[in-house]
Amino acid sequence: MHTKDINENIAWAKINEDVLRSMENPRVGYWVAVAACILMVSCAVLAEIYQYQVGMGPSNLNWPHMWDLYIATFVFWIGMSHSGTLLSAILHIIGADWRKPIYRFAEAMTTFSLLTAGLFPIIHLGRVWNMYWVLPYVSDRGIWPNFRSPLIWDAFAITTYLTSSAMFLFIGMIPDLAICRDNARGWRQKLYTVLSLGWQGDDRQWRHFRRIYLLMACFLIPLAVSVHSIVSADFAMSIMPGWHITSFPPYFVAGALYSGCAAIITLFIILRYFFRFEEYMTIPILEKTCKLTFAIAMVWSYLTLVEFASVWYGHDMASKEALIARFTGAYAPFFWVMLFCGIVAPFGLAFERMRRHLPTMFVLSLILNVGMWLERWMIVTPTLESSYYPFAFDTMWPGIVQWAIVFGSFGWFGLLFLIFVKVFPSVSMYEVKEMVFHRRHYHSEEQAVKFHRRATDRQLTDQPGTEGA
Amino acid sequence: MRRYYVMGLFSNFEEAFSTISDIRHHAVPGVSVDDVTLKSPIEHPEIEEILGDRGSPLPKFALFGAIFGMIFGFLFLASAQATFLVQPAGGKAVITLPSNIVLSYEMLILFAVLSTIVGFVINARLFTRRHPLYSEKVSLDQVGVLLELDEKSVEPMKELFKKHKVLEIREEVAE
Amino acid sequence: MSLKNVLENWSDYRKTHEQGGHHEYEHMWTLAIDLNKCTGCNACSVACYAENNLATVGKEKLHKGQGMHWLRMERYWDEPQMGGDDAEYHERGASFLPMMCQHCNAATCEPVCPVAATYHTPDGLNAQVYNRCIGSRYCSNNCPYRLRYFNFYSYYDTSWPEPLNQQLNPDISVRDKGVMEKCTFCVQRIRTGKDQAASEGRELRDGDVVTACAQSCPTQAIVFGDMLDEESEAAKLWAKQQVELGPYEQKKDKEGSELRGYRVLEALNTDPCVMYLDRVREA
Repeated sequence: MHTKDINENIAWAKINEDVLRSMENPRVGYWVAVAACILMVSCAVLAEIYQYQVGMGPSNLNWPHMWDLYIATFVFWIGMSHSGTLLSAILHIIGADWRKPIYRFAEAMTTFSLLTAGLFPIIHLGRVWNMYWVLPYVSDRGIWPNFRSPLIWDAFAITTYLTSSAMFLFIGMIPDLAICRDNARGWRQKLYTVLSLGWQGDDRQWRHFRRIYLLMACFLIPLAVSVHSIVSADFAMSIMPGWHITSFPPYFVAGALYSGCAAIITLFIILRYFFRFEEYMTIPILEKTCKLTFAIAMVWSYLTLVEFASVWYGHDMASKEALIARFTGAYAPFFWVMLFCGIVAPFGLAFERMRRHLPTMFVLSLILNVGMWLERWMIVTPTLESSYYPFAFDTMWPGIVQWAIVFGSFGWFGLLFLIFVKVFPSVSMYEVKEMVFHRRHYHSEEQAVKFHRRATDRQLTDQPGTEGA
Repeated sequence: MRRYYVMGLFSNFEEAFSTISDIRHHAVPGVSVDDVTLKSPIEHPEIEEILGDRGSPLPKFALFGAIFGMIFGFLFLASAQATFLVQPAGGKAVITLPSNIVLSYEMLILFAVLSTIVGFVINARLFTRRHPLYSEKVSLDQVGVLLELDEKSVEPMKELFKKHKVLEIREEVAE
Repeated sequence: MSLKNVLENWSDYRKTHEQGGHHEYEHMWTLAIDLNKCTGCNACSVACYAENNLATVGKEKLHKGQGMHWLRMERYWDEPQMGGDDAEYHERGASFLPMMCQHCNAATCEPVCPVAATYHTPDGLNAQVYNRCIGSRYCSNNCPYRLRYFNFYSYYDTSWPEPLNQQLNPDISVRDKGVMEKCTFCVQRIRTGKDQAASEGRELRDGDVVTACAQSCPTQAIVFGDMLDEESEAAKLWAKQQVELGPYEQKKDKEGSELRGYRVLEALNTDPCVMYLDRVREA
């Protein structure tokens, strides 16, 4: 019966054991990964120290290329953070319980990619040491930030989103932290005792827990949409051809969900392989995630094509030239690769045989994310290359400092994630128990077969009819 | 009269629920269903049918936070812009509604979330000591039915527990 | 920070709203640049470097696009039939466009600055506060003319080695790395001119303030003046060319006159304060 999301008869003690085991005794591979991540981060730190001392010059930024990889990668990481919320909040609200084994690491991904994304606006500032000026604090000089600037909206939106998503992650984890507390010794026990906030599984606690989880899910969905709309406002609110596009907010939101879902697939496969979570991160759940990704990929592809069409028929000369320059200009190879990775490659998700093949899905999800990273770059840079003023047309290749920091950001994300999986349970124990419990009670095997039956499955002959039962 | 805490641990959830159901129907004289605390490893929305709907004021906290966040956010932004005298707006509006709508929206969500969390911490009685009878089995796979009882009700309650195939009974004198 | 301030600002807001978005400006500094007269000699650009302490970044960085030319002399080459691509005389068919900050009255750079480092002064200037700038560079991205320049390095040691630092203009700061800067219409000269007029107890007259570029132009192609002073030469030029501040499309009475005035990228509704007079040539 390989169409079931999860084995309903799995022992609860085994759930606890499997998940708690994943948090203990890191193997050699783990430390190698940690070392690699630290190495990547130190590349970025060195580059940033150099940039801090010398100025933005070595990053090869120039006039008119004032923004480049930093902003593109910022948008990429913000985008990455979106599907943790999507998977968790939306699927929670619509009652899709297959989210339960995989939402925890997706939410952690949200929080950590926000922590990564938040670094980039800081890194890209010319005067990093004055970055707190964007905060609306009361100054004796009567100076405030400029609330009309989309960058300030970013600051508000990202602060809100980081707070809310970190809280969503944490609150969803409290019952699990209580499990950890009950099973841990030494420093871990002290840590979990503090973090579990005195959770003891009372009906009172569960009752309020259910409410707050639903409420936060309700708040997080519009928040996630607004955050990426606001990020898109960095571009859409400007006057530049190629940026000033009305469809940018939904386009960015779709792109964000797309890259985030692809990243969930990547992490899903990594965690399943290294932590032997085959019982929880099952192939049917992966398939569902892949189908979701495919649907979002098609939304994104549609919005991409609509953007081209609306610019083309809008017939504003500057916008049209910017569009043509993206297809034929200096960055055209990246643009075509982006179109291939973003629009053609996801069709691999349409085939069941590929969806069920883990190595293929791993590579494919990475390809999708390369495409999405290129997409952000191809939004930022070609517009700066050619805009309204012909005298300022210029082609630029990012300097080693930029590449080092972008490279290091992946290490930073990886490092945070590696720490997370060893300190916090990356599969939600109590929710897997709930899923098992409810499925055992409300979905008998016959019903499961009935609802999940495919044409290829063996027909059950003695299927009792539900009519008149 | 001395009061006791009694907790029965069940591995069969149905039996635990029918225990509570029996308590509701006064199987033990002098013990009401309101004295029952259910300790469980998972969330049981269906238990409310037996325990009675005890309600949750969290949506009110959320509503309050949202309204406060929006109003405070807007007033904060508007007063900040109005007192930003060193920035001549160059003929543009001083209090800019489109940007303030966006920012107030973010503040609405931020304060709604924070207020809901505060409400959760208060109402769920977090940051308190665990109950002396708390069992680690509750976080694994058993449910506990905890009651605070008079001395005379302890024995009948244990009988009721045993009737419903209790695994283990713990009791302690309440302070 | 009192209720009074709030209410006053509110009334200001109401007032500006009714007036269609304009303050009562004290001055409205403008340039009128006659391209017929421009020879492309670059004297204005050099004067600008000297007056405003612009860093000379060196050949390599200039080639990388990290130059600091507030006033850049743009060269455009004609189509071959007009004389461009002339192997013998390269100069044939060249036209020049001195380009500096257009001080747009609806500047696209202003609303996007996160820390309000760039704003509009009651003089009609698009001001840049170096001390406030944190270098997000959004303003430059949103400038359709690409007229803002960023300090990619700290140039103090390399650009003005001893004793060249003695020639720095004391009226204006030397900007450090990480700060955006651009043409200010020589705001230090405007300030000096105003102070001078105030100390003499008179109104500011046309000619009291001349920008470095206007002063140094050998053919007097650049004219600087106050649009609100109807007697100023610049205002007269604007009026003569029937170019107005405000609209994004000029309604010109074309009959019987040679009207050459235009503003660059006017259709974007940035409302620039620099008027160019088109170059007229025989075909």
